Amino acid sequence: MKLSVQTKVLALLFSAGLFAGCSTTGENMEEGGYDSDVAAIDQDGGSTVYGGGDQGGISSSSMTEEERMEVQQQAEQQALREITTFYFDFDTSEIKPEARDVLVAHARFLSSNPSQNVRLEGHGDERGSKEYNLALGERRANAVERFLIVNGASRGQMQTVSYGEEKPAVMGSSESAWAQNRRVELDFE
Amino acid sequence: MIHRISFRPSKALFAAVALMLLVATSARAELLIRVTEGADSAIPVSVVPFAENGSMPAGDKVSSIVQADLAMSGEFRALPPEKMLSLPSKRADVFFRDWRLLGQRYVLVGELTRSGDRVQARYELFDVNREERILGETAGAPASNMRSLAHHISDKVYEAITGVPGAFSTKLAYVTLDRTSGQPRYRLQVSDIDGKRARIRLESKEPILSPAWSPDGKKLAYVSFETDKPVIFVHELGSGKRTKVADFPGLNSAPAWSADGQSMLMTLSKDGNAEIYQMNLQSRKLTKLTNHWAIDTEGAWDSSGDGIFFTSDRSGGPQIYYMAKPGAEPRRITFGSRYNARPRPDSTGNYVYYVHQRDRAFNIARTNLKNDEETVLTRTESDESPSVSPNGRMLIYATKQSGESVLTVISADGGAAYSLPASEGDVRDPAWGPIVR
Amino acid sequence: MTGQERELTSTGVPQWKSPVALSVALHLLVAGVALAGWSWSSTIHEPPPSSISARLITQQKPEPSPIVEPVDQPDREREQKELEKQKQAEVQKRQKEEETRKAAEQKKLEDAKRKAEEQVRKREQAKAEELKVQKTREAEAASQKAAAEAKERERRKAEADAEKQRQQEAKRKAEEEKRRQEEQRKREEAERKKKEEQARQEAERKRLDAERRLQEQQLGAQAEQARKARADEARRQEQAAAAKARETQMLSESQKYQALIRERLSQAWYPPSSATEDMTARLQITLLPTGELAGVKLVASSGNTAFDNSALGAVKSLSRYPVPSERDTFETYFRQFTIEFNPRRLR
Repeated sequence: MKLSVQTKVLALLFSAGLFAGCSTTGENMEEGGYDSDVAAIDQDGGSTVYGGGDQGGISSSSMTEEERMEVQQQAEQQALREITTFYFDFDTSEIKPEARDVLVAHARFLSSNPSQNVRLEGHGDERGSKEYNLALGERRANAVERFLIVNGASRGQMQTVSYGEEKPAVMGSSESAWAQNRRVELDFE
Repeated sequence: MIHRISFRPSKALFAAVALMLLVATSARAELLIRVTEGADSAIPVSVVPFAENGSMPAGDKVSSIVQADLAMSGEFRALPPEKMLSLPSKRADVFFRDWRLLGQRYVLVGELTRSGDRVQARYELFDVNREERILGETAGAPASNMRSLAHHISDKVYEAITGVPGAFSTKLAYVTLDRTSGQPRYRLQVSDIDGKRARIRLESKEPILSPAWSPDGKKLAYVSFETDKPVIFVHELGSGKRTKVADFPGLNSAPAWSADGQSMLMTLSKDGNAEIYQMNLQSRKLTKLTNHWAIDTEGAWDSSGDGIFFTSDRSGGPQIYYMAKPGAEPRRITFGSRYNARPRPDSTGNYVYYVHQRDRAFNIARTNLKNDEETVLTRTESDESPSVSPNGRMLIYATKQSGESVLTVISADGGAAYSLPASEGDVRDPAWGPIVR
Repeated sequence: MTGQERELTSTGVPQWKSPVALSVALHLLVAGVALAGWSWSSTIHEPPPSSISARLITQQKPEPSPIVEPVDQPDREREQKELEKQKQAEVQKRQKEEETRKAAEQKKLEDAKRKAEEQVRKREQAKAEELKVQKTREAEAASQKAAAEAKERERRKAEADAEKQRQQEAKRKAEEEKRRQEEQRKREEAERKKKEEQARQEAERKRLDAERRLQEQQLGAQAEQARKARADEARRQEQAAAAKARETQMLSESQKYQALIRERLSQAWYPPSSATEDMTARLQITLLPTGELAGVKLVASSGNTAFDNSALGAVKSLSRYPVPSERDTFETYFRQFTIEFNPRRLR
């Protein structure tokens, strides 16, 4: 069943609302929780929005301006999409602010290319428990997936997997190594 | 005229009895000395090299295997044979005074006799101070299986002294990672308690995780990434036959056998997020045990077989929780730090062991379930994957040493560490096998 | 496991099993068994003994029963007639006899009656005469009595008068006497008083003297006593202090050695890893003055064999216990004492 994007967004917002409601008594939710990454990013300032130009077809000079802007934007988007690895802080699956623009670019790309599939691989650093890290990696991958869906990608295009701490990007037991291993990688097939 | 007989003990009789008792109990006020602390060190024990009749098979001597076993437990300190004043092999040759001078508490002597392809061992254990024999037995084994004979003797010696059955004849399962040849090679292996006689059961290019012993010691469950996703397999050690038991979308991980071997706990995320399920291995029917948006994983049955410990980050970070029975309301167990994961309750029901973050380090800790007291057991930096011995007396875990993961055995209260000789590469994810008779 | 032997130096027995209590219990048991055989209740009711009443029956002569003789049949009628006749004759005879008897009886009766009347008459006559005589006599007696009484009266009167005189005389004399005596008494009284006074004063003097002397004596004695008491007290205190000091010294010595022994045992004790804080093993130790172990007895088991053995092993591993050289202290505290093993701090 093919749903429109708006309906999908509404459905996701609904389920996000449900998640927010389901908390056990007496537990402290970590500030920011897991819903923050589900907030629709479109309300944020500073992101470029594709849309029908308001100033369309006035003078020959403005058309060139638009064309140039469009080309520039596309170039920017492409540059952003070079980034396919997203990092996380210890024991959290919260998407960092600096990742959001990039992910939006990916989302838009996926949205525009429905036949494009991507695999999201979640990872964690080596510390702590293997099994817990496996679940944490999955949660990170899911967080990225949700974000992409909210921003235009469709679920069918995406596949998530978690490797936990089993496939580090960087060997070693330093803060820097650990930081580089707490990641989600986008693998465009 | 009829006389009625009634029994009324005379007051005099009572007084007499009372007086006698008083005299008996009122001894002179006796001095009482209370000893409330013992030696903080291991018990000195001497394992005298066994006498040999006939040619013995090549390899480690039985007595040196026994000596190493006892040392590994952390509870014994063995006297090097070169320090022994005599090498008796039977009671008549044991001069307790000699061993007392050396400060020894126990002396194990014995004799091995070869007959055909079998070896008989006669051995005796003596309490030096009480000058009593506390153990004496003969046991036999094929000449090719001397190590098992030695571990049997260790079990008996351990039990005679501590009252607790030894766990030296049990097996270990673990995963090794070999990165030497470019491509990583993961190997699931089973070995003796001391790492000897290791045999590879599975080899894969993709990660293998979380080996779990069935209660009868004949099967291993584990997570394999051979299909590029985590899948739970059950592997029959005798035949090598493998069965896939869980291959749902998302996670299939953290397998844990029930005490009767009929069902298995597992972590699945097929319903949206990581939850703990119980699967009947015959029917493959699933029962969902947790229902929370948080990560719930690493389910482990307690010693009674009724309750389940697990890891959940429903309170923000991972903590240990306990359900009194499957699906019951969980109760939080750990509060001492922001990261406590991978619970492993022991067979006594007294303790649960887990990974515990202390400042910047990750250690192994245990909580006393009777009084909620938490004790951190290790002092190294990066410890994980604790597994308790089936007699509750030893703990094995993986730790980083010079950038590589090695296995270390400690006594359950955190004393005395014994590193298993490192085989090739990285050794991780140990699972202590059950006692099998 | 073959051949596993258990430590049996001499297992101590818990207090309640002491020979005394066992003996008492045994006695009670025997007594109880013996007494249990008796029937306790008094509900057994025996019927009251049936009363035997016996009455003595006096022997009476049995009345002869008429003997009936056998008679022949044929002469019956004639016989009967004869009998009839005889009967009649007898009856007549009897009648006659009867009449005769009666007449005779009648006569007797009349005679008797006559006699009786005669006697009565005579008696009454006698009575009347007696009466007469009595009256005469009484009259005479009365007159005599009157005369006697008159005489008596006179006599008495005379006596009374004489008496009165005498009394008056006596009274007069008595009064005189009294006066004289009174005077004498007064004189004597005065004399006596004087003497008494003197004697009293004398006695007073003597008493004062004696008192003074006594006081002096007492003071002296008191002083002496006080001195003695002080001396005694001082001596007592000295002794007490010495004893206390000795005791304290012994105690502190014993405490010192207690601590030493505890230290040595602690170092020598390897509690099994399965030991819990509620395990306690108690051993009774007997030492020689040299500090050598003379005997060990497990008086209270912890319930765990491995734990008990660890305690026994620890105690036996010390070849010489640190003991005070002071014999007193040793005997009081260290000849025989108890050690309790109970792990307090478990990691």
